[in-house]
Amino acid sequence: MPNTPIMTVADLHKTYGKAGSKQYEALKGIDFTVNEGEFVGIMGASGSGKTTLLNMLATLDQPTSGEVTIHRQPITHLKGNQLADFRAKEIGFIFQDFNLLETMTAYENIALPLTLQNVAMKRIKPAVENVARQLGIAEFLTNYPNELSGGQKQRVAAARALINQPAMLFGDEPTGALDSSSARELLDLFSKINREQAVSILLVTHDPFSASYCQRILFIKDGRIGQELKRGDLPRKDFYQQILDTLGTFEQ
Amino acid sequence: MLTKLAMTGFKNRWRDYLVLFSGLIMSSAIFYMFEALATNQSFLKENTGIGLVGIIFQFGSVLLTIITLVYIGYANSFLLSMRKRDYGLFMLVGARKGKIGQLIWLETLLVGIVATLAGILFGTLLTMGISQLLISSLGLTLHHLAAWYFPAALKTLLLYVGLFLLAGLFNLIALTKTPALKLLHSNDQPNRPQLKPVWQGIQIIGGTLLIAVGYWSMANLDKLQMLGIAIALVTIVMGTYFLFNAIFVGLIVWLKHFAIAHRGLNNFTLSQLSFRIHNYTKILSIVALLFALALGAITTGMGFHRQVPMMANASNAYDLALVNPTKTEQNQIKALKPKTQTNYHFKVAKKAVYYQASEFNTHPFTTLNMHGKNQLAFKAVTNSAKQLQKSQYSYQLGQLQTNGNQMKAAVFLTPSAYQKLAQPEKTLTVFATKDVTANLPAIKRLVKTAAKHDASYKVATNLGGRYGAYLQINSMYSGLQFMGFFLGVAFLAMLASCLMFKILSGAAADQHRYQMLDKLGTTQRQLTGAIRKEIAVLFILPGIVGVIHVLFGLQMFKFLMVTSPYTGIWLPFLIFAGLYLIYYLITVKIYQRIVLQ
Repeated sequence: MPNTPIMTVADLHKTYGKAGSKQYEALKGIDFTVNEGEFVGIMGASGSGKTTLLNMLATLDQPTSGEVTIHRQPITHLKGNQLADFRAKEIGFIFQDFNLLETMTAYENIALPLTLQNVAMKRIKPAVENVARQLGIAEFLTNYPNELSGGQKQRVAAARALINQPAMLFGDEPTGALDSSSARELLDLFSKINREQAVSILLVTHDPFSASYCQRILFIKDGRIGQELKRGDLPRKDFYQQILDTLGTFEQ
Repeated sequence: MLTKLAMTGFKNRWRDYLVLFSGLIMSSAIFYMFEALATNQSFLKENTGIGLVGIIFQFGSVLLTIITLVYIGYANSFLLSMRKRDYGLFMLVGARKGKIGQLIWLETLLVGIVATLAGILFGTLLTMGISQLLISSLGLTLHHLAAWYFPAALKTLLLYVGLFLLAGLFNLIALTKTPALKLLHSNDQPNRPQLKPVWQGIQIIGGTLLIAVGYWSMANLDKLQMLGIAIALVTIVMGTYFLFNAIFVGLIVWLKHFAIAHRGLNNFTLSQLSFRIHNYTKILSIVALLFALALGAITTGMGFHRQVPMMANASNAYDLALVNPTKTEQNQIKALKPKTQTNYHFKVAKKAVYYQASEFNTHPFTTLNMHGKNQLAFKAVTNSAKQLQKSQYSYQLGQLQTNGNQMKAAVFLTPSAYQKLAQPEKTLTVFATKDVTANLPAIKRLVKTAAKHDASYKVATNLGGRYGAYLQINSMYSGLQFMGFFLGVAFLAMLASCLMFKILSGAAADQHRYQMLDKLGTTQRQLTGAIRKEIAVLFILPGIVGVIHVLFGLQMFKFLMVTSPYTGIWLPFLIFAGLYLIYYLITVKIYQRIVLQ
């Protein structure tokens, strides 16, 4: 079971601007794999290409060249319904600004990926309640997003991302809009889900504290992977210090 | 400096302002169109001959003013929501409240005046275009119709500028009383759909009662007269609003209990609807009323249009009669391929017209004998001379005469008695084609030829038979037909601009929701389906209410129309449904283009 790749990224390039005009190469050949049940972080300064990379991996954007495979399925050329089905079944997404639909209750937001697949109502209810219990939001299910705190909103978003048991969970600065205690709770939650349910997580962040929860960190600089850091059996506090040190030299 | 800042805000959001302006221009143009007819007393008097029509127009004008009031309030809140963030920002950088208030006031008024002036101009052009189109396609004769009518323009301008002054004042208070930070985040309001069963019950009962009273007073307009229209106006407007308000929230909450509501994006669509419920109830009541007005006007106009040939056909069995037709005229008649054609010889004395009985016995004269109360129900009866002498419908023979002989008694003589008369003998040629309305141009040419040797044929009232009746009735009903179609088109356009405005002003806010759904893995088909469903609800609900209003509202025209106003209403309904469907499809397309990019 360990070391089975869930996602492989091979020679990924992304160039902005049409041929002939002024072009900008945001990604200059990225290679890495994420194993099943792994918790990987991607770090880099603003403009390093980490968000571009995440958008490619999560099928929100198409690379100029290269291939991404998730769950043995090449995803870079998916289109239309296949793409929608893939997003709905194989991946979960958590955004910095929550991206909850403010017109729907927490329950309805969490259930959305299942209703999109036309899952029967009597199967949706236990699934939502189950994931809500795990994430500690069972009592907020009837509330609308604007009646929840930032931390609660992000847990609702996490529940929505997890409800269809995705192969990969992507996080784009999920703690960016949270206060420190909410951020800590959410990251603990990620670790727990990762440990107990073996969900593979890919987290994009520029915050060393968030990154210290990962098992492995890839540092991106100017469109390339510059360095890789593995936690191994290191306690989280020491790993945090190691990240800080790496960042200190890496960004020079 | 602030003025400059305000102008840049204006430039950045020109798309939103375009929506706002086109909506306001449309609204003021239609208001002007309506007033151009309603305030033109000489037009109303000349073309309808029914005093009550003027009063109906005045109440229509009141109704349109109410609709305009809501419409402007709505446009204003759109403007306000657009500018809230900018003004909040100005306050944050330290602009004085007085200065900001001045800006708000100025902007609101400027938008209002520019849109109204453009609207009046556009309305004049519309009035010209539509009236030309209607007159030529319906073959109407109208007098005193003016596309540019100053009192109407003045009324439009005064109403709109007055309303915008009020709106500016409202904006001033709303914006300067709100703290800057709240203005910056005004888009995140709470939106829990609330069920208040008692209040809703009261609204349902009250709304139903009000509408019932309105329907009753429309049906009894002959007794209530002006008061009836006033009552109907107030009760139906209020009743419609209460019913929508009470039922809409309940309907959505109720629908969410069904399994079907939790399939695909149905739940999302229901949530979307409930999210903006308060905007929707107002707009839906207005659309329902406009729907009813437009459909009612077109149905009535069509009713009058259909009635003209029916009444003409019921007036006589023959299309036209000519005295002593020349060879050319006879050839022209032959070319019409008449169904029947008979020559009766006659001699004219002072008080009577003498015919030969034998001619009538060999070629009986057909009269149309009325039966029942309805003037349009008749039986065609062939009469010998003896029968015709006794028949109360012998006047139909007289009608076919000319030169003042119409009212003289018809006497049928034996050949010998006829021979003894010294007066010169003339021939009356009567004929009937299969369908007089299909042969109007040819008969017109025939009459023109005949008028060369007999000047009396120049006047429509001298022409007996169906053709003459058609001309007279058509000129009598032209005004009513024209108003029906004209107002129908105007209300339909108003309805279109109302719904369009509502839907486009919400589209920008929906954009990020649809993007979010896309990221969650919604297929394109599900997204377009959700949009189609959401907009369909907004079209169907007021459509149903509008149809019910029309069915009851047609009661008002019982006393204006000879036939029942309900005969053949499927045709205008079908045409209207077609237009409505086309309009729905266009709205869906535009919305999808904005939201799904």
